[in-house]
Amino acid sequence: MKIFRVEGTLVATARIGGLESHRLLVVQERSGGKQVAVDPVGCKPGDWVIACGSSAARDAAGSKEYPSDLTIVGIIDYWDDELEERAAVSARNGARSTGDDARR
Amino acid sequence: MNIHRVTRDLVATHRTPSLADKSLRVVEDHRGQLEVALDPVGAKPGDFVITIGTSAARYAAGDPRITTDLTIGGIIDHWSEERWRSTDSANPTL
Repeated sequence: MKIFRVEGTLVATARIGGLESHRLLVVQERSGGKQVAVDPVGCKPGDWVIACGSSAARDAAGSKEYPSDLTIVGIIDYWDDELEERAAVSARNGARSTGDDARR
Repeated sequence: MNIHRVTRDLVATHRTPSLADKSLRVVEDHRGQLEVALDPVGAKPGDFVITIGTSAARYAAGDPRITTDLTIGGIIDHWSEERWRSTDSANPTL
């Protein structure tokens, strides 16, 4: 499952019948990339959420036939992105600095 | 399957019923990219773990009705930071 921040609701009035019954949200990855996710949970803009893909995305949206490849499955109670970044960096430096700062 | 390191526990009180009350962990790959994995084994922060992706993750969770696309399959006994990172280099030091 990946971590996203909810940007807002996406309105697409003309959509396939299979995509009805759930809201679509624009969600943003920590690296900045935007995707569209189905929201059966009920999120607000600004929420940090976890979303799953694969066949679990279809089932999480309500049925095996639901045509989703990204569905929100939960809202993270507490997430401070700057804090996570700093914690990850210090864990990495503390463990061993290999000099290859090739991450992202 | 992939190798991840557990970063911390993840609390998500408001979740879909299909995730039940399963434990979640934030895990990072060798490039520092964060993901969330379901944890049926009880891994602790700092543990190196094997993770199973796509639809196999649902069977790894012990019940295919659980909606996950990443599940921890086991805790690795011996693994080092150096060995982990060397997957990126052209000349791994194994």
